[in-house]
Amino acid sequence: MLQCIFLLSDSGEVMLEKQFSGHRVDRSICAWFWEHAISQGDSSKLQPVIASPTHYLFQILREGITFLACTQVEMPPLMAVEFLCRVADVLSDYLGGLNEDLIKDNFIIVYELLDEMIDNGFPLTTEPNILREMIAPPNIVSKVLSVVTGNSSNVSDTLPSATASCVPWRTTDPKYANNEVYVDLVEEMDAIINRDGVLVKCEIYGEVQVNSHLSGLPDLTLSFKNPSILGDVRFHPCVRFRPWESHQILSFVPPDGQFKLMSYRVRKLKSTPLYVKPQLTSDAGTCRITLLVGIRNDPGKTIDSITVQFQLPPCILSADLSSNYGTVNILSNKMCCWSIGRIPKDKTPSMSGTLVLESGLERLQVFPTFQVGFRIMAVALSGLQIDKLDLKTIPARFYKGFRALTSAGEFEIRS
Amino acid sequence: MFPQFGATAETLSKASTMVFRIGTDAHLYDDPEDVNIAPLLDSKFDSEKCEALKRLLALIAQGFDVSNFFPQVVKNVATQSLEVKKLVYLYLLHYAEKRPNEALLSINCFQKDLGDTNPLVRAWALRTMAGIRLHVIAPIVLVAVQKCARDPSVYVRKCAANALPKLYDLRLEENTATIEEIVGTLLNDHSPGVVGAAAAAFASVCPNNFPLIGRNYQRLCEILPDVEEWGQIILIGILLRYVIANHGLVEESIMRSLCCKENCQSGKDGLESDSKFTMPEDNSDIGPNYESELAYMVSQCYVEGPDEYLSRSSLLSKVSSGSKLEFFQSVESNEDVKILLQCTSPLFWSNNSAVVLAAAGVHWIMAPIKDVKRIVKPLLFLLRSSKASQYVVLCNIQVFAKAMPSLFAQHFEDFYICSSDSYQIKALKLEILASIATDSSIMLILKEFQDYIRDPDRRFAADTVAAIGICLQRLPKMASTCLEGLLAFTRQEIFTTDFGSVDGEAGVLIQAVMSIKSIIRQDPLGHEKVIIQLIRSLDSIKVAAARAMIIWMVGEYSQLGELIPRMLTTVLKYLAWCFTSEALETKLQILNTIVKVLLCAKGEDLLTFEKVLSYVLELAKCDLNYDVRDRACLLKKLLSFHLHSQDVDRERDYLPENKELSRLLAECLFLRQTKPISPEPYNHRIYLPGSLSQIVLHAAPGYEPLPKPCSLVGDGLETNDSGELATNSGSSETDDSDSLSGSIGDESPSHSQHTVTGSSGSGGSDEAGSASEDDGNTDPLIQISDVSNTHKRQNGASQSGSTDFGELLSNRALESWLDEQPGMSTVNTSEPSSVHRSSARISIGDIREQVKAKSYALLDPVNGNGLKVDYYFSSEMSNVSPLLVCIEVSFKNCSEEPMSGITLVDEESSKDSDSADQALDTTESSKSQDDVPTLVSMEEITALEPGQTMTRVLQVRFHHHLLPLKLALYCNGKRLTVRLRPDIGYFVRALPMDVETFVNKESQLPGMFEYKRSCTFIDHIRESNKDKNDSSLVKDKFLEICKSLALKMLSNANLSLVSVDMPIAAKLDDASGLCLRFSSEILSTSKPCLITLTIEGKCSEPLDVSVKINCEETVFGLNLLNRVVNSLVEPSPTHL
Repeated sequence: MLQCIFLLSDSGEVMLEKQFSGHRVDRSICAWFWEHAISQGDSSKLQPVIASPTHYLFQILREGITFLACTQVEMPPLMAVEFLCRVADVLSDYLGGLNEDLIKDNFIIVYELLDEMIDNGFPLTTEPNILREMIAPPNIVSKVLSVVTGNSSNVSDTLPSATASCVPWRTTDPKYANNEVYVDLVEEMDAIINRDGVLVKCEIYGEVQVNSHLSGLPDLTLSFKNPSILGDVRFHPCVRFRPWESHQILSFVPPDGQFKLMSYRVRKLKSTPLYVKPQLTSDAGTCRITLLVGIRNDPGKTIDSITVQFQLPPCILSADLSSNYGTVNILSNKMCCWSIGRIPKDKTPSMSGTLVLESGLERLQVFPTFQVGFRIMAVALSGLQIDKLDLKTIPARFYKGFRALTSAGEFEIRS
Repeated sequence: MFPQFGATAETLSKASTMVFRIGTDAHLYDDPEDVNIAPLLDSKFDSEKCEALKRLLALIAQGFDVSNFFPQVVKNVATQSLEVKKLVYLYLLHYAEKRPNEALLSINCFQKDLGDTNPLVRAWALRTMAGIRLHVIAPIVLVAVQKCARDPSVYVRKCAANALPKLYDLRLEENTATIEEIVGTLLNDHSPGVVGAAAAAFASVCPNNFPLIGRNYQRLCEILPDVEEWGQIILIGILLRYVIANHGLVEESIMRSLCCKENCQSGKDGLESDSKFTMPEDNSDIGPNYESELAYMVSQCYVEGPDEYLSRSSLLSKVSSGSKLEFFQSVESNEDVKILLQCTSPLFWSNNSAVVLAAAGVHWIMAPIKDVKRIVKPLLFLLRSSKASQYVVLCNIQVFAKAMPSLFAQHFEDFYICSSDSYQIKALKLEILASIATDSSIMLILKEFQDYIRDPDRRFAADTVAAIGICLQRLPKMASTCLEGLLAFTRQEIFTTDFGSVDGEAGVLIQAVMSIKSIIRQDPLGHEKVIIQLIRSLDSIKVAAARAMIIWMVGEYSQLGELIPRMLTTVLKYLAWCFTSEALETKLQILNTIVKVLLCAKGEDLLTFEKVLSYVLELAKCDLNYDVRDRACLLKKLLSFHLHSQDVDRERDYLPENKELSRLLAECLFLRQTKPISPEPYNHRIYLPGSLSQIVLHAAPGYEPLPKPCSLVGDGLETNDSGELATNSGSSETDDSDSLSGSIGDESPSHSQHTVTGSSGSGGSDEAGSASEDDGNTDPLIQISDVSNTHKRQNGASQSGSTDFGELLSNRALESWLDEQPGMSTVNTSEPSSVHRSSARISIGDIREQVKAKSYALLDPVNGNGLKVDYYFSSEMSNVSPLLVCIEVSFKNCSEEPMSGITLVDEESSKDSDSADQALDTTESSKSQDDVPTLVSMEEITALEPGQTMTRVLQVRFHHHLLPLKLALYCNGKRLTVRLRPDIGYFVRALPMDVETFVNKESQLPGMFEYKRSCTFIDHIRESNKDKNDSSLVKDKFLEICKSLALKMLSNANLSLVSVDMPIAAKLDDASGLCLRFSSEILSTSKPCLITLTIEGKCSEPLDVSVKINCEETVFGLNLLNRVVNSLVEPSPTHL
């Protein structure tokens, strides 16, 4: 089981340590880790499981903060990694983001949370709802109160009743004047288009996100019009397995507030909403690049926030790029970013320019990969459709809202 | 327009962050010590206490030691404010172990809190109290846990479950039974939340106490989907282990290949069988085929752990297969297996990746082959969850895909590589893609590979080329078309490599040629044209390694087909022409190739080749590199029969038969047929799916392979296995004695005489020599078998030194001298101050005879009515089970009356059945571990006359290597309870090995497997003082030290002395650098345990001995280390 967790800032400073077992882990392990991370170059591509000379380290990186856990004995590595992710989620939920200052400013809350979340190296309470009741998240009111009175406790003095219930994810008996449930389909499209312009892989990763504000103990059922297209699914613990197995219906008692009800994957899609056509020709030490972006399949709604990013190959000395629409930026790490926004009606956005190769190179041998970003509101590109949402227990009226959003995931065009 | 705007924005953002920081604890973290903390702690306001505690926590977070505030903080534990309480607890847990005495002050408060009406207070008190981890309060905590395990609040019960491992960590051996009982109670809890925590406690407290699971098995399976996710992960593993221990493996599963393999092996008399083995007919209807070789290995590794498996397979000693068949159950017939599979399958939908992987592991091992494919989609979906888990999941998929490529063959698209993947993920995906490619998917995969080759990351591109090679070897059908592609690639790279601007490019090219080479090897004749094309491109390929490989091919395939032999003259001339400008490896390869061609040549070509060769040899003779010059000299001598045309006179004395002989030799060297490629040996280390060991590829401490199938009920195999083990160890024992006597026999007196003269440098050894002569025919205790001279070494001519000695020393000594080199160098490097120090090996003869094991009193005559019982640990091996330790017990009757009916029995078995059900519980649990009894009963002593002494051998199984075992001694019908103290030194057995093996093994156990402690050793002083008194003969101090150290070690533990390295120092009195090595292996697990003693200090003074133990079992190693150090420090009984 885990022996210790360290929180490291983006400069490698140890911001916080929390020991769990009698075998204290020395801080020097962080120095070792940081040196290792530097020697590996890109720290975001570091392995999540590292065997150091004295400990096994698990690490995840979230918005510049490294969560580092140590153990000396056999344990499921995914358990450690998942737990660290959960800690990161909870912290960023509590603090409204993650960065060095936020953690340092709220270090007491971080300590209290860690103490509740893990005991003796084994996860204790990770359910956000229960945690929220045990340790109040910082908010404006509590801050003001603490300034004015100089005294405020964020530690609750009663045990959340949910710890004893059979639906530990739900606060018992919340009361709302307006009962409402919002269901969002949030999808990401992963696609790979190879050098010949062929779509070799295209799939949707989607999540059903629910924001529920219902009084009492509601029992909801959600059904889809076309559940057969769902390839793989994973559920929030609140979803009952039986109804899904037999009728592909989601039956659940929802947690209070925002949560991820399920995630799914729809595979082998046939087309993408956008096309991106790169063209690279090189000779005599330069390379001419043109990039065209346009709508291939109109999804019926506007596509916005279109960006194209690519990393210039290391052998390129300088680049001179310009576009007829949108702005082109070249960052210091040779990352080139073209933000287009929406596709204009009258013209096809294109970017063109010349790249100067390293002296001695006649022509380009390696080619960049273009990552495309976009966002389409109110459309689920997978075609998944919600049939109906019913409240089983209380026939009281409640407001239902459905939304959808598709954005680009790993959308890559190779050249 | 607004030049000041930027500045304003900056101040604005600063101001806004200031606003955000107001009301937080920012100032406390930034400057925790700006006020005096101590008075705040004593304040009567909670808010001030809070602030002080927050400041302390800030200091802890920043890594400062603030334990000096401990007493003041502990006082505050009695507070009513929960916030203060929480903060105090946080502080307390951090420092409790450092300040145990002050921590005790808080116990009363905890006791009080445990009775609080608020469950949160109870839970916190329990958590903190258990977290303090002090031996003194352990009994109190145990009572508290017992109480809380029946608490009405689920949360408190859960915390009680979590407290159990903390208690267990304290090693409260007397209370193990109680702890296990609580685990059982909590496992039986009706709330899923408690069951999850109880499962975690079970896994760390008593992972092999299967009866505890057996009682609740069905219920645990049913409750599994409702248990919280973290508990699920652990519980799945426990249930899997239980089912295998109880029912064995599943007949239709992939583990079945194990028994098929065994069958066919027994049919072939244990020979390593080929993979052509056909599956039995019941598999014909099962679609997916799998690589039986690897699948077999996978299953073996799961059950035995890869280390044992690999070592065993190299010995080819297989367990007889007949009985193994019984361990297979059919899913249909076995309810327990069925229910496990049923209850784990919904977990594939879990949101927690670790749960999905754990469930997939169960199905991989237990599900029928036709159902295994259910794990594929959930596993692949995990790849989308997060980057961190992606890596771990891929590592596991890699093993699945290799053992059963058909599983993932359909889903190759999921392994396509994104540019955002890290290098390790890319490499894993490539490897998986290469191993799951099929005839139908290979075209698409190769197309994909072509894209990767143009990736800016050239290391990745080189890996891709290697992967193409592997694909084509697996699917030779595609080879010819793709070879074209690879060839085109070598030609295309020419442009870039010429400029040499990109380092990675060379790697890609080398990889391409290597792939081509390995494909050609499969079918040289079919790829004749490819070889020709490669040879033709020689001129344009500039990378040395690639050139060398192509030149190797010229030599290898010189007689292949029609065209190549015709090209040879030109090619060779070309090679000779460019010889001078080549890199080293290419030059060497050119020399080899020309010789190979020459040896095969006939007719007029022969003449040309001879000319080319002599030309190249001339060039090579003047080469700057000595390797090339040496090679040239060698070839010249070897091939003199071919070169005689040039220098006839010089070679005249060569006799014809000599000529024949050297020709034969040359042919042996150069024309030996390269072996047909054997299927790649599967030397992967495979651990259980989802384990940490599988990711780091070594057994992490605490890793346990699956339990032996049916070990819970099966007894036939158990005895069989252990019997075999025992005989094995027996034979090794005899080997040991053989080698010992052998070494003694080898060293004839004359040899030892030589060695002594050889050791002119060190003064002391003369005496040793004379001592050995004194002893005459009896084997000398200590002999210096070889010595290297400091003087000669300083000249740097170690080579010549060895030859000088070679005539003096026996063959054996020379070998060992050569062997010794690495060992010595490590000794030298460890002491940089003594650069010129050399060391010699001392072989200590039959020191075992002088070893006297320490004896302990089991029963005092005062307590035992005149019966005196002593015991000492013997180095003998038990013939029943490796878990048993042999103890010689001597009974002496010190009374006036005869005694009768003396016997020793296990206390628990002698207890009356009505004593307590707890006793039943413990016996049950002890039985479950292995069916080894605690005590193999001794022969009863029917009568013992006054003054008589009788000896019996006991075989005892200690449940723990530190705690005493209670035994019942019957004498004259009376029952006495005695305590048998275990000696960890005898939980190992001597494992004889040579120094090389020792150093090898040692290097395999670095880092966390290595423990060191230092101590002082004074025995030798007493010894030498004694010698001064009673004998005039002055012995060598070094030998004296070595002897006393070795004796001390051997009489305190069952070890085998590997070597003694002695420094040859300028100062005779300086023993620094003396190094003794001992080896042993742990009785129960057969894991090696290596001990090294290094000595610092002067001979006549107390010596600093640093003891180092390398052992895979951390806890055991540490305990053994303590034992060794203690035994070294304590004065020995006068045994000389």
